[in-house]
Amino acid sequence: MSTGAEKRLQLNRRRFVTLAGGATAALAVPASVRSAFAQGDDVIRVGFVSPQSGPIGIFGEGDPYVLDLVRKAVAEGIEVGGKRYGVEFISKDTQSDPVRAAQMAKDLINGDKVDLMLSTSTPETVNPVADACEAAGVPSLSATSPWEAFYFGRGAKPGEPSPFKWTYHFCFGVANFATLYADQWSKVETNRRVGVLLPSDADGNAIRGLLVPQLEKAGFTIVDAGPYESGNPDFSTQINLFKREGCEIFNTFPFPPDFAVFWRQAAQKGFAQQVKICQMAKAGLFAPELEALGPLGYGLHAGAYWHRAYPFRSPSTGLSSLELADGFEAWSGKQWNQQVGATAALFDAALVALKSAANPKDKASMAAALAGLKAETACGAIDFTSGPVPNCTPIGLVGVQWVKAKEGSKHPFDLEIVSNADHPSVPLTAEMTAYTVQG
Amino acid sequence: MLDAIVQGILLGGYYAILAAGLSLMFGVVRFINLAHGDLAVLGAYLALFCVERLGLQVWLSVAATLPIMAALGWFLQAAIFARTLRAGILLPLLATFGLGALLQNGMFGLFGSDTKSLGNHIGSLSWSSWQLPLDVSIGKLPTFTFVVAVLVLGALHQFLARTKVGRAIRATSIDAEAAELVGVEAARIHRVAAAVAVALAALAGVFLAMRALITPYAGPAQLIFAFESVVIGGIGSLWGTLVGGIVLGVAQSLGAWLSPQFFQLAGHLIFLAVLGVRLWRTHVAEHGGWRSAVLGART
Repeated sequence: MSTGAEKRLQLNRRRFVTLAGGATAALAVPASVRSAFAQGDDVIRVGFVSPQSGPIGIFGEGDPYVLDLVRKAVAEGIEVGGKRYGVEFISKDTQSDPVRAAQMAKDLINGDKVDLMLSTSTPETVNPVADACEAAGVPSLSATSPWEAFYFGRGAKPGEPSPFKWTYHFCFGVANFATLYADQWSKVETNRRVGVLLPSDADGNAIRGLLVPQLEKAGFTIVDAGPYESGNPDFSTQINLFKREGCEIFNTFPFPPDFAVFWRQAAQKGFAQQVKICQMAKAGLFAPELEALGPLGYGLHAGAYWHRAYPFRSPSTGLSSLELADGFEAWSGKQWNQQVGATAALFDAALVALKSAANPKDKASMAAALAGLKAETACGAIDFTSGPVPNCTPIGLVGVQWVKAKEGSKHPFDLEIVSNADHPSVPLTAEMTAYTVQG
Repeated sequence: MLDAIVQGILLGGYYAILAAGLSLMFGVVRFINLAHGDLAVLGAYLALFCVERLGLQVWLSVAATLPIMAALGWFLQAAIFARTLRAGILLPLLATFGLGALLQNGMFGLFGSDTKSLGNHIGSLSWSSWQLPLDVSIGKLPTFTFVVAVLVLGALHQFLARTKVGRAIRATSIDAEAAELVGVEAARIHRVAAAVAVALAALAGVFLAMRALITPYAGPAQLIFAFESVVIGGIGSLWGTLVGGIVLGVAQSLGAWLSPQFFQLAGHLIFLAVLGVRLWRTHVAEHGGWRSAVLGART
């Protein structure tokens, strides 16, 4: 780890290299192409909004890295319908603030006049951006936020036609969790009694209403401790209930920092010792959370939407999943995380959409391309023509387990793929084991 | 229910440490430091820095952090708070609000947004416990926090009661001008109080980082608990702070025992109830007793 000053220095150096690289790339473009791009009509402008700083800034940690790769890949432009266009990406940081996300989207729409809007990571980012695009009639594609939160969370009603004309989204949803959990929770012998801890926020209530009934149908007995407010410093009531009910599986969708408070207290009260599967969602996506938990984190289970062992390539960056992860580690000096691949997947899908549009500079034509989009991405294939609702399409989830890294690893935790029922083309990397305190 | 009460009391120990500094600032320097929670988190990051970057032992890091934070408190009082206080009570509030934002973003710049914890550096202390009869278990870390709270408040009480500086602090808190008349330099006493208050905030931050995860933005959520403990326990009273912390903690855990959704609500309700009673009592005193206060309100 480097100190703050060193980090800044590296950042500056990196920025310098990036700038220098960009300049070189610009010079390398044939003169004819460059002059052609000088006219505004021939440059497709793409806005990209993501949280790159603030409380959920970890999601956007790899965004500059991925964006840089994509910019290099399209430095010479793309060909659409026999015509060559330049592609310009304009990246904005929401600072983890939904109000700022909406503002950034409006700036991109009104100021930069973008032809396509991209956004990623959590409903707090993609929903305000999509709302701004829907209102302004700008085509928008987003990812990494459960699709129900995107679709129903913005006012669509089940069974009614989609109210959205301009905004499209691909991400896992409740059905993916249901398929994944039914498989992952059968990998270890348990009494199939599941304690669930869901906060009283939008996600928690959606999971309570939609996922819990599906899990019950799959043969699990659900013990719901009831809604609670995020930021809770004491969970003894909930833990005592789960203990009393003899739950051997535990599942939670918390505000991530709350998980450590819960799990340490669960160990104090003997519940962690009783649990065989501790399935985190929302929490446990990123290694630093596990590192902060220490040895209590060895063996915890979670779901992942991308992994370095994914067999898919990312066409927009030209890298395989493994190369993407290794490249990120070299670039950042940190361990790879699943959002790196998911951000690459968003660009993969966006470039296919641009290339398949009859006229990428025409908003209606661009939106039509999104509605019929089929693309190979780093997260797997997506197909907007197959539903479940007109504006959304799911990607698969894999079941993962955080394990103690092997001797000699630079990082304390490794992430193994242990369940693939929801995403069968992804290979398993390890056999799932039951949770035991301190691994 | 017994378990809920026990957990609530232990949680109160943490609240007491957090609230003591806020109470001291309000009691002596007469303003509410809205950056108190952020200073607590800063203390935790400083201790983490000593552990992770300098390789110091955890308790040594804590020992090194507290004097640094005390010096910061001294400096903040001298450079910012004392100046803003001259312009009335609103400006220090705004200044500390701004300081909070500065601290949050400064910590983000220096330490990044990754969640961090001291809990993984103290071995099994963060999650081991003693099992008692009647299905009660008490965590070692909450117990340790509670004991430290009692010791720190006891030491602070002795400091205020027995030492010359302590007496000067009490005199300044009662009437700064009168204290100046008898040779107490009030400005210096304010700096001492700020130093102690910020060091206490840092200590609370260290315990927060041991039991939970911290991020640069974790401070404001802690401020509300500190503030409620201070008001429940009585402003400027040290042992009152401990009582306030325990009352808050027990109210919250009993609320959660009724229904998990009532955890924070129960805390807020007890806070509002105590505040209401206090305001009403002041009102009664100003209107010459209960009878006339009630009748006066009616007319």
